Amino acid sequence: MLASLEWLKQYVDIDIPTDELVDKITRAGLEVETVTNLGAGISGVLTGRVTEIYRHPDSDHLWVCMMDYGQGIVQILTGAQNVHQNDIVPVATVGAVLPPSGHNPEGLKLKKAKMRGLDSFGMLCSADELGIDAKLLLPEERNGIYILPPDTPIGLDVREVLGLNDTVIDIDLTSNRADCFSIIGLAREIACITGGKLKMPEMQVAEKAGGNLQELAKIKIEARDLCPRFAVRMLKNIKIGPSPDWMKKRLRACGMRPISNVVDVTNYVMLELGQPMHAYDYDKVEGHTLIVRRGAEGEKLVTLDEKERDLTNDMITIGDAKRAVGLGGVMGGLDTEVTDKTANVLLEAASFNGASIRRTSRSLGLRSEASGRFERGVDTVLPHNALNRAAYLLEQMGACETVQGIVEDYPDAVDAKVITVTPAEISGRIGMEISGEEMVRILRALQFQVEEKGKALVITVPSWRGDVAEAADISEEIARIHGLDHIESHYPALSMAEGKQSVLEDVRDKIQDYMVAAGLDEVMTYSFVNENIFDKLQLAKDDVRRKTIALMNPITDDFKVMRTMLFPSLLNSAGYNLARQADRVGIFEVARTYLPKDLPLKDFPVEPMILSVVLSGNCNDVSWCNRCSNVDFYDIKGIVEGLFEHLGVTDYTLDYCQEKFMHPGKSCVITFKDKVIGYFGELHPTVSQNFDLPEDSYILELVVEPLVNATMQIPQYEHMPKFPGMQRDISVLVPENVSNAELDGVIRKYGGELLQDVVCFDVFKSEKIGADKKSIAFKLYYQAADRTLTDAEVDESMKNIVAKVAEEYQGKLRD
Amino acid sequence: MKEELEALKKQALQELANVDSLELLRDLKVKYLGKKGPMTEILRGMGKLLAEERPKIGQIVNDIKTELQTVIDEKTALLEQKALEFKLANEKVDITLPGRHPKDGHLHPVTLTLREMKKIFMRMGFDVMEGPEIENDYFNFEALNLPKDHPARDMQDTFYITNEYLLRTQTSPIQARTMQANEPNTPIRMIAPGTVYRCDYDATHSPMFHQVEGLVIDKNISLADLKGTLELFLKEIFGSSVKVRLRPSYFPFTEPSVEADISCVICGGKGCRVCKNSGWLEILGSGMVHPNVLRMSGYDPNKMSGFAFGMGVERIAMLKYGIDDLRLFFENDLRFVRQFR
Repeated sequence: MLASLEWLKQYVDIDIPTDELVDKITRAGLEVETVTNLGAGISGVLTGRVTEIYRHPDSDHLWVCMMDYGQGIVQILTGAQNVHQNDIVPVATVGAVLPPSGHNPEGLKLKKAKMRGLDSFGMLCSADELGIDAKLLLPEERNGIYILPPDTPIGLDVREVLGLNDTVIDIDLTSNRADCFSIIGLAREIACITGGKLKMPEMQVAEKAGGNLQELAKIKIEARDLCPRFAVRMLKNIKIGPSPDWMKKRLRACGMRPISNVVDVTNYVMLELGQPMHAYDYDKVEGHTLIVRRGAEGEKLVTLDEKERDLTNDMITIGDAKRAVGLGGVMGGLDTEVTDKTANVLLEAASFNGASIRRTSRSLGLRSEASGRFERGVDTVLPHNALNRAAYLLEQMGACETVQGIVEDYPDAVDAKVITVTPAEISGRIGMEISGEEMVRILRALQFQVEEKGKALVITVPSWRGDVAEAADISEEIARIHGLDHIESHYPALSMAEGKQSVLEDVRDKIQDYMVAAGLDEVMTYSFVNENIFDKLQLAKDDVRRKTIALMNPITDDFKVMRTMLFPSLLNSAGYNLARQADRVGIFEVARTYLPKDLPLKDFPVEPMILSVVLSGNCNDVSWCNRCSNVDFYDIKGIVEGLFEHLGVTDYTLDYCQEKFMHPGKSCVITFKDKVIGYFGELHPTVSQNFDLPEDSYILELVVEPLVNATMQIPQYEHMPKFPGMQRDISVLVPENVSNAELDGVIRKYGGELLQDVVCFDVFKSEKIGADKKSIAFKLYYQAADRTLTDAEVDESMKNIVAKVAEEYQGKLRD
Repeated sequence: MKEELEALKKQALQELANVDSLELLRDLKVKYLGKKGPMTEILRGMGKLLAEERPKIGQIVNDIKTELQTVIDEKTALLEQKALEFKLANEKVDITLPGRHPKDGHLHPVTLTLREMKKIFMRMGFDVMEGPEIENDYFNFEALNLPKDHPARDMQDTFYITNEYLLRTQTSPIQARTMQANEPNTPIRMIAPGTVYRCDYDATHSPMFHQVEGLVIDKNISLADLKGTLELFLKEIFGSSVKVRLRPSYFPFTEPSVEADISCVICGGKGCRVCKNSGWLEILGSGMVHPNVLRMSGYDPNKMSGFAFGMGVERIAMLKYGIDDLRLFFENDLRFVRQFR
């Protein structure tokens, strides 16, 4: 919210420097975002009159002006085409300074110039060159030199004339403080904080026009839940014209564009008192009747911005005897707009339901100063003051005569709220002893009425403080005005226990730590994805993972649906890094996916925690001593096995993976406790290509939750063997398609009970041993708990193994 | 014979003195002390000697043998030492070549910051609670004193899924969930860390970010307890010299509401670009739990009071690590991630 300091000073004495004021109101809860000195950067620009103007003899667009600027007459050339004899305009003479603007982004210090042979001793200024925002000007004021009113004296500092000697503070008003959404409201707050006195604006209406208002205008509230109060004044003999300069200056300083006196006054009063208003052309209102009702289905209204709007049952509609003439609190209708020809005006000030205004203005995309105020809540006591103040101002301008009285519908006057609370309760909530007297002082300064009854304070809340409803709210008023800096820190009573996190969180930490130890880098990707990833993954059209939870209002297509798989997000990160010349990409993330039970969503979706890994490029950083080849299947498998060992997860099984996005011969599904919990391996080459990744890129996708129980098992100590064990190597030649697991299985099965462990330590293929053969070597570990083994015992086991390998897999012992 | 022996000894000692390799030394030992050596020969020829001379000569031979043996042992030790020295002098690695070690992985700076925050609060007795990221309107807004069409809903641009379901804009719904899961009026001390979403995307806003919210409910909890707790936490995370101040603000779920500022961690409060020359940085929002929030979750505001606070993890990480662009957190450039540990 923008507030003119000059305007504020009319209603409260401010005798402290602006910096101090800004600090004080910020510390009381009204956060000042910026302080702008409007005329900063302008100096030496004076009002001047065009005493003579003629075309430059050697130019078809330049004009030569003789300018009387109060201190003499000077020749200035201009290229603008809107300047005429006797116009009063801003004159920047040599040495004057102009602020940064659209024309002069760096600002400008004026020097004598020569244009086509003639000297120019300065320039005539446009509004833009004076740093005035074009939005605050009428279209005719935006182009060319800024022509000032003809009665403007010459030789005056232009900052004074244009209201550029003011300071504007921009307050980031919190949505509870509707009461401060006006100059008077702010002045009241400042008066309380600085100890100054609040003055109220003049609003004594002369009421010189004749006529009985009750007969001249009829009003009625049909939709009472949407409108507690609706009040109207009638103004006759309207003379539409521009507003006085002082009013224009204040409107502009507060960010509103002056238009014409009647409209300006409604805006001015809204800014000053906080009550939005609307003016209707009385003679165009059918039946001279205004009815507050709900919009009818199919009903239409052309609003002031010349757009046709579809009304709904939810919208506060102002109707006349025949049709809709406005959207209450949001925007008026074009048909009943005040124009140059308007003779009589109905001035409306009403209280509208904030929630309804909010829905209407959002659904129509029409948010205005008025709707913003109604959304936060407007004091229901205000409409009378606003009507009186507006009529007073227009009378003072000689723009109207007012019919006696106000006609209104206000069926259920709102009672003032009364809160009873003890100072001890308030001190308790704040955690600081504050005396009852100090509390009374603060509350009265904020214009709360306070009565002391025994130990309690009986507090009557002023009508404009809709945010104050109970004792907690009173404690806030006391705390913020008394000063939060006075609160001494204190600690809640000690608890004897350290805080805990869930086991799942512990597992997440453990996984992250393992991944980092394994040399992977953690990434954080957005939870929403572009649906095109499913095509890139070649997922079938009816794949359940395409059933995604979509956002109603996504920012871009890339952030449109909630992901159902995690690793594709990491593929994008891998691609991003490979494109930036990363040699080695080993990344992981532990995050949620979002799986709907049904669509559209009728219940909370499942949000499983997923670990994803992507490996691509080199398996190690380039180094003189490392293996720096491309990652391969056994790199990703090693990560999975290492992780499972770290977590204490055993008895899982692996099978070839059938997913369309995986390489059929180089990928696995992981089954644990009869459920598939993930998959890993090499991506399908087409998929790699779709994600702009090299062919041998590897991924892991693993659900974390099923692993939690395994990690909770506490390892139980087993005695170490007391007797030496024995090691034997065995190397067998088998057909190429016999797997390590098959051989390992047969060895363990027939090795006897002394065989404790089997480790494959070499796999070898060559033309020499035959293209369809491989040699595979195992270390066998033998151990007995109660004795030292003899060679004979172990030989016996080995013999069995060799025989069975030969029998089941046509294996031959290799020498 | 005695002279013969002396000459032999002299010759042996001279040869031993000149020997410079362990191989030659071994040869000399064989030559003089071996079974076919001159000593053995002399001993064999003792039969020719007079009976009374035999012990004398025997004694001399043994003395010479012992002496030679000692010299050989010494010489062996010396040459071995020399050989070792030679070996060591010639076994030099290039210590400037990098060593072999497992490659380093890195946690994301948000994880690092989040872990640190959790650790501090857990030490202070706060339990860590989690909740769903896809929330409903009730827990995300209504239970937090934000009824439908409340203007303060504008403070949080929301991603909606349906009119009822949305991406949580804050982790505060977990507060309501925790209260409602409890027996009424059970004291609470918890934080709720997690991912949150807001419909805003530019240099200073990310549609997804992380928050840590906290809630303490007990008898007689006051704003002074809030100030003390926040001070303790902020000094832990930013260092003990940091100053904390509270400023009145507004959040629908707290009353009174306050924002906490810390003295600028970049300039120490003197004023710089980061703190816009104010010397202070906004760091978190907080306040006393609104009585409506307690009531809606079955707590009695006349018996129990509490405070709540919420802060952005990225914001704290940016200040801690000097990161100047929020978008870096989610670009996942490894040159960024690999800088943190």
